[in-house]
Amino acid sequence: MADYREAPLATRPKTLDPNEYFNLSPEQRRAEEARGAIRANLKRQYQTQLNNPHRQELIEDPALTRWVYARTNPYPHFKPTFKTSLLGAMFGVVPLFALYYIFKTDRDRKEEQIKAGTLERKFSLSS
Amino acid sequence: MDPCFHIQPVNMAGVGFRRWAQALSKGKGSGISALLSGSRAASSASKDSLPGPYPKTPEERAAAAKKYNMRVEDYEPHPDNGEGYGDYPKLPDRSQHERDPWYQWDHPDLRRNWGEPIHWHFDMYIRNRVDTSPSPVSWSTMCKQLFGFIGFMLFMFYVGEKCPSYQPVAPKQYPFNNLYLERGGDPEKEPEDVKNYEI
Repeated sequence: MADYREAPLATRPKTLDPNEYFNLSPEQRRAEEARGAIRANLKRQYQTQLNNPHRQELIEDPALTRWVYARTNPYPHFKPTFKTSLLGAMFGVVPLFALYYIFKTDRDRKEEQIKAGTLERKFSLSS
Repeated sequence: MDPCFHIQPVNMAGVGFRRWAQALSKGKGSGISALLSGSRAASSASKDSLPGPYPKTPEERAAAAKKYNMRVEDYEPHPDNGEGYGDYPKLPDRSQHERDPWYQWDHPDLRRNWGEPIHWHFDMYIRNRVDTSPSPVSWSTMCKQLFGFIGFMLFMFYVGEKCPSYQPVAPKQYPFNNLYLERGGDPEKEPEDVKNYEI
């Protein structure tokens, strides 16, 4: 499997990941240790709250609060650029007019056919 | 970043009501305006622990990294192109499927620890949904196998349409001169002989 190519947007298996074999310098190790220290601190805070016998309420997760807040309040950070206006137009404005036009022409054509008596009235459930 | 501890000897249902009543009494204006402004008694989600605008100076970046419990070197905000991210960190697009199943996570079903920064699309990357873990076979092999099978089946169905093969059939043959009397033939008249066989 020397020519393994991963699926787009997926990751390589750990045994083929170059990160495992090449990122071993002291700086990287120190970075990993710093990350471990942050993680251990958070674990300590969580465990302290979890095992507190006087605690009566739920443990609030500030990261979750921040995530929810960020997802629900993107409006202050919105700037009308080319890309955002294009997306807004494509998803908000174009479907409105396009669907109206499509439905209107289809219904008008059907109405004319009915008036002229040429509409095929089949017994099948679809159309 | 220590969360404040609320040690209140009341039951769970009473906590919310008590806080609302406290806010009402300690509110800035009169009671009604405090109720309407939605001010609550002390909670740990203060203004500076919530996401803010894109960080421009290195000090802002360091403060944001600290706020999100990340190293300053690891912290990378989303590009500032007006899509509404603010200073929220851009984490690697990895699904929760890829995390170690044997590590003692604080939330084992989500494979996440308390306080860990959450990916923007976290609800997409949970273990019931999108999976970015490595595929067992390489992409080219998967494509070849899938499209090979589909192509082969389509080809065979096409061949079957062109050259159908089934048991030989013929119209049903009835005795008694093709059922002359049962079909309302005249009993006096002699029917013509119908031979449905060949020897």
